[in-house]
Amino acid sequence: MALLNEEIAGQVKQELADLAGPVRLAVFTQEFECQFCKETRQLAEEVAALSDKLNIEVYDFVADKKKAEELNIDKIPAIAAIGAEDYGVRFYGIPSGYEFASLLHAIKLTASGKPELSAGALKELSGLKVPVHLQVFITPTCPYCPQSVTLAHQMAVASPMVQADMVEAQEFPQLSNKYQVMGVPRTVINETAHLEGAAPESMVMAKLREALA
Amino acid sequence: MFDFKLTQSQQEARPDASTKQDDQVYDLTIIGGGPAGLTAAIYAGRARVKTLVLAGSLPGGQPANTDVIENYPGFPKGIEGPELSQLFQEQAGRFGAQILINDATEVDFSAKPFTIHTHGAVYQSRAVIVATGAVPRRLGVPGEDKFFGRGVSACATCDGFFYRDKTVVVVGGGDSAITEAIFLTRFASEVIVIHRRDELRATKINREQALANPKIRFVWDAVVEEILGEQTVNGVRVRNVKTDATRVIETDGVFLYVGLEPTTGLFAGQLELNEQGYIVSDRRQRTSVPGVFVAGDAQDPLYRQIVIAAGSGAVAALEAERFLEGHQS
Repeated sequence: MALLNEEIAGQVKQELADLAGPVRLAVFTQEFECQFCKETRQLAEEVAALSDKLNIEVYDFVADKKKAEELNIDKIPAIAAIGAEDYGVRFYGIPSGYEFASLLHAIKLTASGKPELSAGALKELSGLKVPVHLQVFITPTCPYCPQSVTLAHQMAVASPMVQADMVEAQEFPQLSNKYQVMGVPRTVINETAHLEGAAPESMVMAKLREALA
Repeated sequence: MFDFKLTQSQQEARPDASTKQDDQVYDLTIIGGGPAGLTAAIYAGRARVKTLVLAGSLPGGQPANTDVIENYPGFPKGIEGPELSQLFQEQAGRFGAQILINDATEVDFSAKPFTIHTHGAVYQSRAVIVATGAVPRRLGVPGEDKFFGRGVSACATCDGFFYRDKTVVVVGGGDSAITEAIFLTRFASEVIVIHRRDELRATKINREQALANPKIRFVWDAVVEEILGEQTVNGVRVRNVKTDATRVIETDGVFLYVGLEPTTGLFAGQLELNEQGYIVSDRRQRTSVPGVFVAGDAQDPLYRQIVIAAGSGAVAALEAERFLEGHQS
């Protein structure tokens, strides 16, 4: 049975009608012992079928270890949204509920390669000299969360040094524990710094500076 | 078991700061994207008024983080808050209002056209509807800031999952407190409702459900004076308001539903506010500045109902339309 009903599929098709360029969804999955791998793959396939400019590549996390390493994928289910280049836009866990909007946003964003950030932030991000890893913990029922995820993804597109992950807290309880996630959205920057709540660009940039200082 | 919401991507996430100035002049700007603002947008859109909605950080407004809504007419079986929010947004977008996920950061209502600053852009508008709503009130006690987002929450739908088989405290006795306490019993092993009175303010049907729920326990006549813990929350210190006795209640998390305060700080000095910070308006939703209207919880300390917010949004839009016609022809 399809995950997306006809009505939603129709809306998605319309949403993706004017994609600025081709996008690949690289999906990492495994046959066993992965809670929502099957559904994540199915979701990516259903979405990809709704646009000529969208393609899907399915990899096995174990058998295609090389590919996983190349794209820096360290857990599953994972989706990497790749446009003209790999900007470092990732989803860990199924982007359902409110996060489905983040997935569509990421597709449009990687298609265009143009983040909508302030001129100051764009300049600062493009000048980064060290790698930055943003992990945004979410639950699918959190209406505030897509804001944090889409902001992090825009930051990833703005700089080759930034990788930004959506992390579905329920599917990765060990990570939620490790980073003491008790509320979402929570953005973890380079393991050390963290931000609670849907913070605007200026606050995330300030936190990033703090983390790199 | 999965659902897929399109809410955010239907709208432009952030306006490009370089957008031409011409594009940034509107007949009507609605600040706020909850039931009041979106209803105003439906009416304004249908009146073919060039309308911008600054939907803020929670598009859909307070219903978007409410579990189930059972008193909004037209949905005899009740409707999930996020779904109702999404339907409001779809309907508002259908009639041509431009909806941006952005906050107003500064306004100038002293000169016409009015000026509204956001993160990254400046807009001019001949009329404005303020529909900024209200936000959950904080307790203002030690430990609250330290643990906010890390054990203290005002969004049960967001964070309930983290309390599976744990004990949580809900502070408050109104409808929000009680419906969210009932929602949290899906995850938590025990939900302790701490209320400063000896009976609930919530609607009878909610009261009955909560009182009959075996997972919910009540602590009456009590206020929270401190949230305790080292790395994580492990308890709250409560004081009995009748006896003044204090004691510690062990808990893993605290959910706050102690009422709301209007989000009107932006308008201080621009619009007349009352002592509690609500925007003063007349029955036609007019504020102290001609051309600026207000709707929803930002002007309603009494009812705070979705249907009432929506109704006042419709009034504000009809009045804004009249105002614009008078000044355009």
